[in-house]
Formats: sequence, structure tokens, C-alpha cells
Amino acid sequence: MKKDIIKLGLALALFAAGACVALAMVYTVTKPAIDGHEARNLAESLQDIFPEADDFVDVNGELVSSEPGVTISGAWKAIKGDAILGVALRVLGKSYGGDAAMLVGVGTDRRIAGIRILVLSDTPGLGANATSPAYFVDKSSKTTFPGQFTDKPVSDPFEVKNDIAAITASTITSKALTLMAKRAGDAGVAWLEKAAAGGM
Amino acid sequence: MQRLWKIFSKGLISENPLLMLMIGLCSAVAVTSSVANAIGMGAAMTFVIVFAEFVISLFRKLIPNDARIPIFIIVIAAFTTIIDLSMKAYFPELSKSLGVFIPLIVVNCIIMGRVEAFASKEKPLDAVIDALGMGIGYTWVLVGIAAFRELLGNGTLLGAQIMPEAFQPILFFTLSPGGFMVFALFISFNIWLKKTLDKRSAGAAKEAA
Repeated sequence: MKKDIIKLGLALALFAAGACVALAMVYTVTKPAIDGHEARNLAESLQDIFPEADDFVDVNGELVSSEPGVTISGAWKAIKGDAILGVALRVLGKSYGGDAAMLVGVGTDRRIAGIRILVLSDTPGLGANATSPAYFVDKSSKTTFPGQFTDKPVSDPFEVKNDIAAITASTITSKALTLMAKRAGDAGVAWLEKAAAGGM
Repeated sequence: MQRLWKIFSKGLISENPLLMLMIGLCSAVAVTSSVANAIGMGAAMTFVIVFAEFVISLFRKLIPNDARIPIFIIVIAAFTTIIDLSMKAYFPELSKSLGVFIPLIVVNCIIMGRVEAFASKEKPLDAVIDALGMGIGYTWVLVGIAAFRELLGNGTLLGAQIMPEAFQPILFFTLSPGGFMVFALFISFNIWLKKTLDKRSAGAAKEAA
């Protein structure tokens, strides 16, 4: 019996070791490509939100979220010359299908400069429509779900089905993303005010 | 050759994993709301089942019977992680839209079932052929269901607008209940197809006799 256990354990360990080596190799090969995608995605989204900015400076740690379920995982101020154009926040929250991440830009005019959804694992065809460039909450003006936030004053109520159009049959996704946008907007405005006062 | 064809072809219709064995259904309903997702999922799952069956069949004499299930899971999980990482690196868009369903290939009962029922007893070549048959059988059903659902539920195929502008998409087909209904239609179609094929081959056998 005892001998059996050792034999079984040995066999298991052998296969696990083999799998480990294979995975380590694949991981090393794919890691630069995956990191590259993420960095490029972020850089593109930042430039997309603040097209006039000529540099983005990491200001992470200076912004706080007022909501426990929404965390700020990164922040960059968009600058052109010496002037601050706004601040972009990477916020993490929970949506229907799990973790969601998005980039929220807040302009110095206290309006949302733009929103880009970075990670969302909601149902394809439903909640995932939030990231689809071909899904419009307002067909006549071709406004996408994240698109409707652009130029919206942060002081607005941000209520789904009131001043925010929901994605059909995806109220949870709509509400979760809207809450993230609102909290990011609040934090962004607070930071911009402090920056304007203290000259950060 | 004929023997291999028999192993391969049973996965397509007569022992189709989704429509006849009816295993691995959860992921199948979940990812079939668009054709692109269905193709990606089918390819990923085919990759994993082919390599898992090959490796397990190759080492089948070294795998102690009492520890076989954990070893199967290690092998399947390793290949699933490999395809997950590769998709993240080289097909980031597809990987994003398939989300959690790629890691969940680990617990796909089709792979576990075929590894246990077939690869752990048969030769590597047979196992690979069986895996290909099962993988393609899985993929064609996914793509078929997805085409049906995407066309009626969204008016598009592979993202391209097919239906005329005036067509009002039937959201029901994108939602899970519609998925189940289309699935049921495919099951009944496959049963009809199998019966017809069986009858024909029985008739041919009689004539030959």
C-alpha cells in the first residue's frame, strides 16, 4: 500500500514537472507579445481620449476612489507643453461576467473626455456589446455605449435608463460600467481641482 | 485506412459529442452567439483535444490506473493554458471576446470523456484521429448554431451585415433560451440524419449480400 502511494505520487509529480516545463517555455515565448499588446492598447486609448496631448505622465497613487467596489489601478495626466489637458484613470470594477477595467478621461472642463473599455468578460451579444464599435445605443446618431459619455459633465447624475442609455437586455453591465465612469469622473475632477490649486 | 476513417467519422455525426453524446454543452450554448467566437472556440478545443489525446495515448502504459484522472487533468490543463497564452499573444481580439471560456476548456467533458474512454486505451495514431473527429464534430455544430443565431439575432454573419436594413434582429436568438432552442433543432436534425444514413448503409449491406 505504502509503496503504491509513492509510485502514484511519483507518476503525478513526473507529469506535473513535464507540464511545468512546457508551460514555462510557452509563457516565456508569449509574455513579451502579451505585455506589448497591453501597453500598446493603453497608449492608443490614452491618445484616443486626449488627441491633443503630447505626453502622458504617470500620477498613480494621487487619486482615490470613493467607492469600495471601484478601484483606481492607474492614472496619467495628459499634458501639452506645460498645460494639463486632463487626467485619465484606469478603473477596475465588477460587471456581470467578472472583472471589468476601463480608461476614463476627465478634462479640465469637468467633462468626461472619453471612455475606453479595456477588459470586459460579459456575455457575447449582450453585455459585450459595450465594447462593440458597431453596437449603437442611439442608432440615429451612431452613439456607442461608451461613446455617450463623451463630453458629459461629471456632475450629471449618471443614472442608467435616465441620462444614460442602457445596452438592451444588459442592465447589470450598463449599471456597472456607468458606476465606474461616475466614480472615476469624481476622482478625476477632485484631482484636477487639487492640481489647479496646488500646482501639481 | 477504412478503420481510421471509421474512427474519424464517428465524431462527426453518429457519435457527435454535442448532438449524440450530449456532453460539453455549457460552453457550446455560451459561445455560439457569434460565428467568429464559435470558430475560435472550436479551433482551441480541437487543439487541446488532439494534443491531450496524443500525449495520454503515448504514455498510457506509464499512467497508473489509480492516479489517471489527476494526470489527465494536468495534461489537459497544460495544453489549455498553452492555447490560452498563445491566443492572448497572437489573437488578442478573439481572446478578449471568448474571455473565460478558453480557460474553461480544462473542464470540458468532451476532452475528459474521450481521454478516459479512448486515448487511455488506444494507440497514439488512433487517438489523434479520434480527437480530430471529435474536435471537428464539435466545431461544425458550434459554427452551425452560431451562424443560425447570429443571422437571426443580429442580422450579421462573421460581423458582416447580411440581412436587409429593414430586418429587425430577433434578440431571442442571441439570448440563452434561443440558444437552447436552436440546439434542440440541431439535435433533432442530427438524429434524423443519422437514421437516414443508417438506413442507407443497411440497404447497401442487404444489396451486397
